[in-house]
Amino acid sequence: MRFLGQRRSYWRLLIRGAVLLMVTLGIYRFWLATDVRRFLWSNTEIAGETLEYTGTALELLLGFLVALALLIPVYAGFFLAALDLGILGKLSGVVGFAALGVLGQYAIYRARRYRLTRTIYRGLRFHQEGSAWGFAFRAILWWVVTALTFGLAYPFQLASLERYKMRHTFYGDLGGRFEASAFVLLLRRFPMWLLLFAPLAVAVSGFGGTVDWKALADTLAQGGDDVMGKIEGGNPGLGGTIVFAMLMTGTRIGFAALLYPAFQAVILRWWSSGLRFGDIEMQSRLRMRNVYGAYARFFGYALLFSIVMGIAGMIAVTLAGAAANFGKADTAGQIAATLLLVAGYVVTALGYSTIYRATVLLSLWQLGMESLQLSGLSALEKVKATGRPSSALGEGLADALNVGSY
Amino acid sequence: MADPIEPPLAAKSGAGIYFDGVTSARRDVIVELAPGGLQVSGGDGRALTTWSYDEIEGLAAPDNILRLGRRGSAALERLEIRDPDFAAAIDARAEYVDRTGSLERRQRLSVIRWSVGATVSLLVVAWFGVPAIATRVTPLLPTGIELKLGDAVNMQVRAMLDTRKKGAAFDCGTAAPEIPGRAALDKLVRRLEAAAALPLALRTNVVRRTEANALALPGGQLYVFEGLIAKAENADEVAGVIAHEIGHVAHRDGTRAVLEGGGLSFLFGMLLGDFVGGGAVVFAAKTVLQSSYTREAESAADAYATDLLNKTGGDAHSLANILGRIGGATEPGMKILLNHPETKARVAAINNATAINARSPFLDTGEWTALKKICAGP
Repeated sequence: MRFLGQRRSYWRLLIRGAVLLMVTLGIYRFWLATDVRRFLWSNTEIAGETLEYTGTALELLLGFLVALALLIPVYAGFFLAALDLGILGKLSGVVGFAALGVLGQYAIYRARRYRLTRTIYRGLRFHQEGSAWGFAFRAILWWVVTALTFGLAYPFQLASLERYKMRHTFYGDLGGRFEASAFVLLLRRFPMWLLLFAPLAVAVSGFGGTVDWKALADTLAQGGDDVMGKIEGGNPGLGGTIVFAMLMTGTRIGFAALLYPAFQAVILRWWSSGLRFGDIEMQSRLRMRNVYGAYARFFGYALLFSIVMGIAGMIAVTLAGAAANFGKADTAGQIAATLLLVAGYVVTALGYSTIYRATVLLSLWQLGMESLQLSGLSALEKVKATGRPSSALGEGLADALNVGSY
Repeated sequence: MADPIEPPLAAKSGAGIYFDGVTSARRDVIVELAPGGLQVSGGDGRALTTWSYDEIEGLAAPDNILRLGRRGSAALERLEIRDPDFAAAIDARAEYVDRTGSLERRQRLSVIRWSVGATVSLLVVAWFGVPAIATRVTPLLPTGIELKLGDAVNMQVRAMLDTRKKGAAFDCGTAAPEIPGRAALDKLVRRLEAAAALPLALRTNVVRRTEANALALPGGQLYVFEGLIAKAENADEVAGVIAHEIGHVAHRDGTRAVLEGGGLSFLFGMLLGDFVGGGAVVFAAKTVLQSSYTREAESAADAYATDLLNKTGGDAHSLANILGRIGGATEPGMKILLNHPETKARVAAINNATAINARSPFLDTGEWTALKKICAGP
């Protein structure tokens, strides 16, 4: 497997896209997404042949409009229900959250189908069968299980959902499978999980050791003034414990930030080593330090960008101050300042997201592809064409619900 | 792109890779530029297929490969040419092969033009359309809906005003030393409310905020800030400001602002992909808090207040007085009561409309002293 794309062309594509996104208030995103996919697909070479992306921006736009037509009545209903302050209003938040969660997973599965059926390799398309609703309910159940087990079940969730996706994925008539073991991922991920949850566990047990729970419950039951003071008096060590717990939470956030690239590398390597199409097997040799390298590049560029934005901001503030001294700060001036602030915010947000796409996301794609070793490629000689292109509704829903990718 | 000049090399044939779209088998082929189209034949010289020039289209591929397909064909036949000269020769003959990207650039430009047009039309709708719709819809809204809307907005507004999270203690007039002040406020509001004859009941609260300000929410909830009571020199000035806010309630200005804010956030949320239902309420509440009403709405509320004060035997000059005193001194972003460039004109208008009538003060000296202490604390 090779990746042929030039970083420079990708940067150019993304920067031009970011400018156009700004000018068109985001309507350009369908064209940008199509360009990005064309670039990534076209430059990914498997066994001497590159992939081809045949989706069009117009399809994405249409899918989004159809999704809006479906979602607007739903949202309007939730909005009206939320205005009702009775039991219905309280329930509408929970019901809405759950419904949108299921719909989001449904959209993810449908969007995957769209992308697969727009992926052509050696004159045949990929396709995906299976029920999107079935996938959505499975995914929600797994999220609940993962949450209840403090993330320990996450490898099993990934493996199960991936098995569902892959056994319904086909290249022509060649069926896919997913064969990575969740236990392997659990073992590889366990040290990280421990690093993240040990501080939390220590903090919680710290509370358990120092706090006299019965006295605390009594104090709270009595109520009255200065509850905190009474609690403090009944539990002399409480203040220290709270500080300790905060330190532990800080440690945890620090660990999480430092470990995130390693986590991503482990998952990516495990996942891509589990992909199978008929006799074709994949083995990933992804190195963790390369993923850290990608993040280092991101922070380098982000720092540079922050400095530039900081200088631009300072110049703007100085100019505004001079203008305020010179003339009078009237309504027009206020509007101009507000517009400038909004523009600054948009440029900053788009800038960071562009840098992230051009460094981390591109590198993950490239590293993920280049580290793959394929075996059993002789199966590629006799695959037959099946499958039809699917609609872009899933992509539209995923876009409207903010669960899209690439 | 059709090029009138034949390519100099005039490579009439070249090597290619062919996929027939039925199986994934890869075939090395010879491609010939025949008069009727591209003739594809296998290594053994047997003809495989012929594609006429007007049905050939160029497809997404890496920079150094020309990938061709047939337009409108259900099968995904593909032909790949890697020799740049031969690729140029095909490009010159086939209309829908666009290796230089000029065709695509032109399409892209038209997309950009259309979406800039859409953006402009959206801004026009946001600037003129949404306020116009809100203005027309507001009078049609039943009072019940207005009350519910008011409750939803009230929660948000309280959360935003009560920055120190005091909760119930954020309201003045609840502790024992404050209760006489609360009674004085109630007396003052009752007199105005009786004359106003609104379709809904007013709820007036004094809250612990230092700005000299007051605001009216949809559904008749009024907030008077502690800072305004502190700046007022007599009870009639407080009554004047409350009468002005009653004017906003009677004209449903707050409701209109909420509809406008909700409409705007819906409109832009749709495009920018932010689809949080609750976001509309937050946005609307911010609109009420931060942006002023239009000059017309403020003048109309002034006129209403003057009229109300005249009717109840109050002194409308006192509204003009407090307006003139605190006009320039409100916090930035807190201009519900006052929109300062027009303060002078508003003061003059109120003074002109003040009737010579039999006046009686809203509160006696003892009550006024009590009202001054409404936020004294326990």
